[in-house]
Amino acid sequence: MSIEINDVEKSFGRFKALKNITLNIGSGELVALLGPSGCGKTTLLRIIAGLEAPDSGSILFYGEDATNRHVRERQVGFVFQHYALFRHMTVFENIAFGLRVRPRGQRPSESEIRRKVHDLLNLVQLDWLADRYPGQLSGGQRQRIALARALAVEPKVLLLDEPFGALDAKVRKDLRRWLRRLHDELHVTSVFVTHDQEEALEVADRVVVLNEGRVEQIGTPDEVYDHPETPFVYHFLGDVNLFHGRVHDGHARIGETQVDLTGGSDHPESAIFYVRPHEIEILRDGGGTGTIAAKIRDIRPLGATVRIELERIDDRGSVEVELTRDQFGRKGLSEGDKVYLQPKRLRTFDGNTKRETTLEAVNR
Amino acid sequence: MGALLAMLKKHGVLPGFSITLGFTLTYLSLIVLVPLSATVLKSATLGWDGFWTVITAPRVLASYKLTFGAALAGACINAVFGLLVAWVLVRYDFFGKKLVDAFVDLPFALPTAVAGIALATLYSSKGWIGQIFTPLGIKIAYTPLGVILALTFIGLPFVVRTVQPILEDFETELEEAAASLGANRWQTFQKVILPTLLPALLTGFALAFARAVGEYGSVIFVAGNIPMVSEITPLLIITKLEQYDYAGATALAVSMLIVSFGLLLAINGLQRWSQLRRA
Repeated sequence: MSIEINDVEKSFGRFKALKNITLNIGSGELVALLGPSGCGKTTLLRIIAGLEAPDSGSILFYGEDATNRHVRERQVGFVFQHYALFRHMTVFENIAFGLRVRPRGQRPSESEIRRKVHDLLNLVQLDWLADRYPGQLSGGQRQRIALARALAVEPKVLLLDEPFGALDAKVRKDLRRWLRRLHDELHVTSVFVTHDQEEALEVADRVVVLNEGRVEQIGTPDEVYDHPETPFVYHFLGDVNLFHGRVHDGHARIGETQVDLTGGSDHPESAIFYVRPHEIEILRDGGGTGTIAAKIRDIRPLGATVRIELERIDDRGSVEVELTRDQFGRKGLSEGDKVYLQPKRLRTFDGNTKRETTLEAVNR
Repeated sequence: MGALLAMLKKHGVLPGFSITLGFTLTYLSLIVLVPLSATVLKSATLGWDGFWTVITAPRVLASYKLTFGAALAGACINAVFGLLVAWVLVRYDFFGKKLVDAFVDLPFALPTAVAGIALATLYSSKGWIGQIFTPLGIKIAYTPLGVILALTFIGLPFVVRTVQPILEDFETELEEAAASLGANRWQTFQKVILPTLLPALLTGFALAFARAVGEYGSVIFVAGNIPMVSEITPLLIITKLEQYDYAGATALAVSMLIVSFGLLLAINGLQRWSQLRRA
């Protein structure tokens, strides 16, 4: 089931939650709505579900206008951040709920319901919990039950509102991989909301980055991470260092340093260069044209990587570099050392069109 | 017991377990247990046969029927309409909502005799409301109907005030979840909202009922107090007291006490059961 969102707008009082949102979601796709809190992602999801009505614009399900269709008739499965399980019902009854409330004519028989609920419990690997109450389950188990309950009505579209937001880091990771596998099995069109960029990049087929009620970029995880179209997307998807400088005749000038570039020459005079922490090389010595002198201020090992905070010698600006444990070990760096930074890749955005240009530094 | 006390002591965050427990027990004894046991002791002076004769006299039996029946009816009416009032107060915004919210507490604050007189005046056959019902052949004041009316009036705040906070905390997500699963409004109310409210509703019901059983002031003005028809048990107790029949009065009191206690215990059991189901 494909979903088309045309020109949707929504305000709450004076606050414009969504501005001109247009988005197409293909049949069987798994799409992430990613953005900081207050960017309108949950509102958009609720409008797709029919829990909220747009002020203008339309929602089409499989080419059919569903804008005014009640949530009951949209055939969507909705999974809430805080599970919204019915606490006075057992796990079994929770999952059976959607089948039991059907009009008499369409209601499956008791044995049919029983079979279906157990199939779903097996699907979410929690068959042994059928007789428990939600209060007796862990967060991860509750969310899987909530998912099974949503799937029981055989929805055409599955909508998940920060489904792993209330879970701890380990469970969150397990569960999002499990969701990805489940989606590969079921192929139901799914949209999930998250503010966690790692989650969006890992799980989704496509990522929609939202900011202040607008779509910033739509693309595959690789596209949005490697080729951010706007500075916002650059900032939101991972850490980034900013260097103020100028571009001139195939050189980037950052402070006193000149970096030779391959690639375009038709750039504005002054520019802001975006460089990800892992795209900077740290050199022990070799002060030359292509490097920026800096002093190590702080070294923080973070699991598999080591984050190094430095201070530029020329303008005391701060720079972050990320190394793997191996690289870090081989270099033998310590706090207070003077080193030379060599950006491997610089990106800049044209002030007017906000187009991104990638500049590869010449490796000497 | 000593070990248990020591254990409780150790786990408390605040000190002073033994002093607070001691105070609680003394206080409860002075306020509740001593007067109640005095009542039982006084009635015991009648002897078993005398006691039985007093509490099963036809006029007394009729008064039990009215007292407990009308209290039950009043509590039932309050359960339904109190829920409705609480719902409207929580779910909707309208002009004067704060005022309406304050009105709910009036039956608490008003001297019950005033309420009784007001009700009797309004609902008598010549009263503003009573005269509407007279042509239909319905008499409200000075009949059992009037008793139910008075007991409904005084019990209203209990249900509203116990249900209101639960309804305020109710996650609207649960309703949305039910709707997205295809439930219509009635199914959502009946299968999702009502079970969540049930324990609070039962508490409100029990409180309204208990209050109604012991009510005296408002009822005697509106009931007419016709023996065998509209006479409540508390009035019979007063009558006996006025005739210096203290033992007989306490015998009635004890019998009421036992029945009330039994009923409240049953309601409590029901409440526990409905809470257990959500574990």
